[in-house]
Amino acid sequence: MQARLGASQIRRVRQFAQDPLLVIIAIAVIVFVVIAILLPLAATISLSTSEEGLPLFERYLFDSTYQTIIVNTVVMGVLVATIGTAVGFLFAFVQVKLNVPFKRFMHIVALVPVISPPFAVATATIVLFGRSGIISRGVFGVRYDIYGLDGLTAVLALSFFTVAYLNLRGMMEALDPALDEAATNLGAGKWRTFRTITLPMLAPGIASSFLLLFVESIADLGNPLVLGGNYEVLATRIYITVIGLYNPVGAAVLCIILLMPSLTVYLVQRYWISRANVVSVTGKPAGKPQTINHPVVRWGLFLLVMFICGLIVLIYATIIIGAFTQVPGVNNTFTYDHFDFVINGLGREAMEDTTSLSIIATPIAGVLGMVIAFLVARSKLPGRGALDFATMLGIAVPGTIIGIGYLLVFNNPITATLPVVGEVTLIPKLTGGQGLFGGALAIVMVYVIRSVPAALRSGTAALSQIDPAIEEASISLGADNARTFRRITLPLIRPAFLAGLIYAFARSMTTISAIVFLTTPQTKIMTAQILNEVENGRYGNAFAYCTLLIGIVLIAIGGMYMFVGSRTGAERTIEGGT
Amino acid sequence: MADVRLKLDQVSKQFQDRGGSGQVLAVDNVTLEINSGEFVTLLGPSGCGKTTTLRMIAGFENPTQGRIILDGQDITNVAPNKRDMALVFQNYALFPHMTIYDNVAYGLQTQRIPKNKVRERVRDSLAMMGLSGMEGRRPNQLSGGQQQRVALARALVTEPAILLFDEPLSNLDAKLRVQMRSEIHSLQRRLNITSVYVTHDQTEAMALSDQIIIMNQGRVEQRGKPKEIYRFPKSRFVADFIGRANFVETTVEMIGDDQCQFQLFGMTVTSVSHAEPCQSGAAVVMIRPEALALRRDESLPQGRVEQAMYLGSEVEYIVSLRGKSLVAVDNNPGSEIFEEGQQVGIAFVREALHLLPAEN
Repeated sequence: MQARLGASQIRRVRQFAQDPLLVIIAIAVIVFVVIAILLPLAATISLSTSEEGLPLFERYLFDSTYQTIIVNTVVMGVLVATIGTAVGFLFAFVQVKLNVPFKRFMHIVALVPVISPPFAVATATIVLFGRSGIISRGVFGVRYDIYGLDGLTAVLALSFFTVAYLNLRGMMEALDPALDEAATNLGAGKWRTFRTITLPMLAPGIASSFLLLFVESIADLGNPLVLGGNYEVLATRIYITVIGLYNPVGAAVLCIILLMPSLTVYLVQRYWISRANVVSVTGKPAGKPQTINHPVVRWGLFLLVMFICGLIVLIYATIIIGAFTQVPGVNNTFTYDHFDFVINGLGREAMEDTTSLSIIATPIAGVLGMVIAFLVARSKLPGRGALDFATMLGIAVPGTIIGIGYLLVFNNPITATLPVVGEVTLIPKLTGGQGLFGGALAIVMVYVIRSVPAALRSGTAALSQIDPAIEEASISLGADNARTFRRITLPLIRPAFLAGLIYAFARSMTTISAIVFLTTPQTKIMTAQILNEVENGRYGNAFAYCTLLIGIVLIAIGGMYMFVGSRTGAERTIEGGT
Repeated sequence: MADVRLKLDQVSKQFQDRGGSGQVLAVDNVTLEINSGEFVTLLGPSGCGKTTTLRMIAGFENPTQGRIILDGQDITNVAPNKRDMALVFQNYALFPHMTIYDNVAYGLQTQRIPKNKVRERVRDSLAMMGLSGMEGRRPNQLSGGQQQRVALARALVTEPAILLFDEPLSNLDAKLRVQMRSEIHSLQRRLNITSVYVTHDQTEAMALSDQIIIMNQGRVEQRGKPKEIYRFPKSRFVADFIGRANFVETTVEMIGDDQCQFQLFGMTVTSVSHAEPCQSGAAVVMIRPEALALRRDESLPQGRVEQAMYLGSEVEYIVSLRGKSLVAVDNNPGSEIFEEGQQVGIAFVREALHLLPAEN
């Protein structure tokens, strides 16, 4: 049996090896994933389990300070996940099930948090609702302490609910309206239908949104740094352990403690929910979903969503207006000083570096995502499941851990001693000012690995919509794999490719948690600069950065639409009469 | 003696079980030869291994064992794009983002044929399929039948050594299917192109094929001309799969060198066919429904009409005869239509009786 299995594996390898180009690409991809994702992760794990590290686990897990931090982290995660999922559900429900005005507006507002650095929301919230907040003090006359769990939860939920919204909206639209009709036909009222049909069918989507939001919120570093106050969570403690205490071992141990829930959620997501997630998503829905006309439900939910939209608009207006005011909330005189500082002063370098590194990382992440999607979904590459898993770790693992892993692995050149040649450098020093390209390569690598998972997911989703026979037809007509990918597969998954590019660029421009460890005097990154400005209370400068950053991302998205195009050309064009 | 174009030599295919560890034998030691210009159909129920066999010929699956030989050359390990074959897919698999012209030209462009030659051949091929004027359209702007024609044109234009069909008509509605069937028939006869056709529709197989290969559970059950297979099936499975049949258990007695006789509903029948397993012992008589005729005749064995269904072109009866239910079909417009519950005499067309080995 063993021997036969071995033989069949050899045959599979040989079959895959029929196309040398595919083999070369697969090897390159695997090498990249190993170096950029697995190695840093392995380094963190091995440092935490070293002789120095292991006793720290005991110390941290039984120390009351750290216990509080762990509990804080979990409480925050659960609160954000619950509220964020609820808000996402609400937005999705209103879009799909209610016939109300301003739906398009609500949709766009819900997408806004994706393309902004998290500090923007946190800082604007301080300006609006903090101790001297424009609204809290100015309108209601209270000196509200926004710092801590309450402010943090609100800001994180507002920053992350978009994921839940898009996820649940997709599922709600995919639900076969015939199910609702069947329930109604059997005598169930709207509420009973919702409770017994809609909600159970959406349970996997709700669960997966909850878990995603949980992971995102406990991994988030920027908001707790700005808004946490005395409420300390693991991410901020890791940051302080590295930057403040310079204790890499302690940080590695804390990383592993943070990694546990993240990884558990990732595994649950991957092996449990994705399996339960086969709810009637085959084919297009037959009819139109029934709308709910009960006036209290309809207008009550409408007002609630409009209120949240108003809040988001208010926050973003604060960012933009704040960028033009002397001291936002205190001295509201119009000024260009902040933009002058960012564009002509210190910020210029950061802006140029961040944008150009993001521009380098974006196509790499986009193409890599599509290539891995192809390898995973279409090729006979042995171990393609493992490749998918390893790639997804790039986002499943909190950014702080990636950042520390990079410091651990790439702070010194990686060398090997070969027989004849002697010592050779395999990978030069990548991080820090003396690193390759002033540390820029490491930053680009982090941008790429943090963005590839999303491109991979949208790529595999798009591929699963395409009948493999279409690619087989191309091969049967004499085209090799490369030609088939270029002429058939890539054009057909172009919308997914575009989505991957947009995500990669927006993500790269706005990411902080991993980058904060890797930015150097030679390579300045905007998000780290924003953090710096916020920590020093220069909110105006921070807002100017954020405004420019949002502007750059929006321009880039427009450019990508023009360059890549969102249509495959396969859509049915309706002609008059036919 | 026609020359052998394609040969499968003891080909087997094992798949990993969905569960993980187990193995499923999809194709089990299949050997077959296909002559130049022949139209051969692989016919069988779903899961019989016919599609896997076709995909191994096309190169999309690698055989676990055995060899595939094209024009005397072993192509078992040749990549699918290097094989001189073209496959017509069940759902056409047209490239949705390309025009009809680009779809048909695709294979020729891959062969790096000069542009003006490509244009000429694409135009000819589209004209042949009655698709002139559609060059600029996209696949989703065509009807199902037109899409099927494009798929055919795309495969034919490359002039492959072998044309492969994977249930190409199963997505069409009944009327269109019959029409396309006859188009494929005349096209293949005209171009004389060696073809392997996979289907589970026996009428399609009968209408199109020079040779039918009946597959069951990964194995070849029988191979022959459509008429041979219908008239002289070798097993109950084949008899049942091709057309409909009544089976009656009986006992055979030898009465000469290659003549035998058996009892059928109280009558003694002498077998005449050479294709029958003529040996003493238990056997099964196959009676096609059209070989049974119902008459008002007291001298015949008497049965009772249990069900009568008027289908227009024929009347289908279920009659019980000595405790056995038999299906009879009458397509003679001149004959009397019997009512349910009526007593009738049942006549057999002797020549249409066929002996099968008994199955345990």
